[in-house]
Amino acid sequence: MKLNDMLSGAFFLALAVAIFVYAMGLPAMPGQRYGAGTFPVVIAVGLGGFSLLMMVQAWRRRGAGFRWIDWAPWTRDRRTVSSFFLALALVLVYVLLSERIGFMPLSVAILLILFWKQDVPWRRGIAVAVLATLAIQVAFSDLLRVPLPRGLLTDLLW
Amino acid sequence: MDTILAALTLIADPYVIVVICLSAMFGLFVGAMPGLTATMATALLVPITFFMPPVPALAAIVTASAMAIFAGDIPGALLRIPGTPASAAYADEAYAMTRKGLAEVALGAGVVFSAIGGIFGTIVLVTAAPLLAEAALRFSSYEYFWLVCLGLTCAVFIAQSAPVKGMIALFLGLFVASIGLENPAGTPRFTFGSTDLMGGIEMIPAMVGMFAIAEVLRALTATGVPLPPVALVRGSIFRGQWALTKKYPIQILRGSTIGTAIGALPGAGADIASWITYATSKRFSKEPEKFGTGHVEGIVESGAANNAAVSGAWIPALVFGIPGDSITAIVIGVLYLKNLIPGPLIFEKQPETVTALFLIFFLANIIMVPFGWLAIKSARYILAVPRNVLMPIVLMFCIVGAFAITNSPFAIAVMLTFGLLGFLMEENGFPVAPVILGIVLGPMLEQSFVTSMIKSDGSFLTFFERPIAGVLGGITILVWAGMAWRLFKQTRAAAANSVPS
Repeated sequence: MKLNDMLSGAFFLALAVAIFVYAMGLPAMPGQRYGAGTFPVVIAVGLGGFSLLMMVQAWRRRGAGFRWIDWAPWTRDRRTVSSFFLALALVLVYVLLSERIGFMPLSVAILLILFWKQDVPWRRGIAVAVLATLAIQVAFSDLLRVPLPRGLLTDLLW
Repeated sequence: MDTILAALTLIADPYVIVVICLSAMFGLFVGAMPGLTATMATALLVPITFFMPPVPALAAIVTASAMAIFAGDIPGALLRIPGTPASAAYADEAYAMTRKGLAEVALGAGVVFSAIGGIFGTIVLVTAAPLLAEAALRFSSYEYFWLVCLGLTCAVFIAQSAPVKGMIALFLGLFVASIGLENPAGTPRFTFGSTDLMGGIEMIPAMVGMFAIAEVLRALTATGVPLPPVALVRGSIFRGQWALTKKYPIQILRGSTIGTAIGALPGAGADIASWITYATSKRFSKEPEKFGTGHVEGIVESGAANNAAVSGAWIPALVFGIPGDSITAIVIGVLYLKNLIPGPLIFEKQPETVTALFLIFFLANIIMVPFGWLAIKSARYILAVPRNVLMPIVLMFCIVGAFAITNSPFAIAVMLTFGLLGFLMEENGFPVAPVILGIVLGPMLEQSFVTSMIKSDGSFLTFFERPIAGVLGGITILVWAGMAWRLFKQTRAAAANSVPS
């Protein structure tokens, strides 16, 4: 998905204005003219300036083939689009549910769903999903002592 | 001498040796896999190195990144698909050699001259870094301010075809760096009451997102054609390499020198080094007409250059804390985590660690030859690993890796956000490396800027009063002027070319 530079420029310009307004509200250090807001103001001016410049360049460049949004070929393929959003959604699900469900069941489930979406043969998919999850569990939880959430399996295994 | 002995004992530890061997294999695998880059290898390693003492942690990163840059040559030669962007410049050439039945010569040249280039870059690193550090000891906030400005400008100016987008990416990174409590005034900024944001955006999950998640998303959107099977590489890869060394000494030296220099420049790394040296090799060749038909000369020169760049990038990273490429941007994050604050003092405070690091660089480039041989001989099996199985595992690994840094799901959310951001930016032609440089250098830039402003009571002229600061400031302003001029011409050219609609 390629936005026209005027659109992305407008987005960054709006961000710059927001940073500027926010930074002006930050207090200066006691007895100084400078403080927490100084640097963000510089950032806002820089970001805003270059965003404007990009918009101007894009405006001057606009020609016969002008489009606000250019959809990349992959966005027209429903399967690719769905696996793209599925991957994002699965990570989000992990963020929200990992404490409750636990690393191992969620990892196997996420891998299985992604393998299924990527047309991995199901027998191989199941084997790899289980083995990869066990490998990560052993490496991170047992060797590196990362407290991976246990969730549903707490009573069962520990 | 004592330092060297102490450093040797640090490395001779069996734990360190095992780490080096494992990360060598990891680096070779990631580098050889099309779609997985050397930067990604480093980003994926960071969560694991997080739990290691400093020396093995640095050993893992140095070894894996050097191996990955070489291993990118393997699919380039066998399939015409570079494994990492650093091998793209000569993938056509190497593939043409394979078509002529010279795969073992192309790959042998890749491994041998990668090792030579890497060792050359290391020698420069070992000699130049302590000297620069001595000079840097006298730097005050003014010098650091200009140095960071110059570094960031270089990153945008040299490396990018679209400097305006590079600048926007850079300011975005600086903005991300300003989130949280960590600023000279200690005032919470852009936190909106969230305690998770108080500590700022954790650098490692952000980098894993930008360099690994974005890559996974890209793989998911690429129309997945499986790689064709490749044949076994038969014959000795080392036969004839000595003859090549004697035939192309100037090319090796030129490639290594330019590679080290480009690596040391902030923002430009191995991929740019290899494009430039492939071009110089052709430009100064006695047989330029042979380039593109399966001629080894360019592979010799740019193969040496991209590995020299890997070593060269560490010079500004160690001495000033300014990364020379995106790999060292990650390294600086790791150094801070290990309480090894990059800067001139690191050479005085932790001489054993620094010397051990230098020795590891030599070691990594030497073992590249046997490990590289192994990787070339097993290329057929490495390239048979299906990517549709690999990518979901990488995704799961990133999730756990990001979580491991802070043990909070918030880090995973940060990783996801930056992954999506990185993906969208690349789709829209914005380079992502400046964002990371901005995040890494933001705190240093703000510190030196605000300190200098307070010291000078708001007079910008004071920024030029000290001699070194004056020179650095002058150069920076010249570069800015050159950039403004280029932008002005670009904007006018764009206007002249446009057809009124």
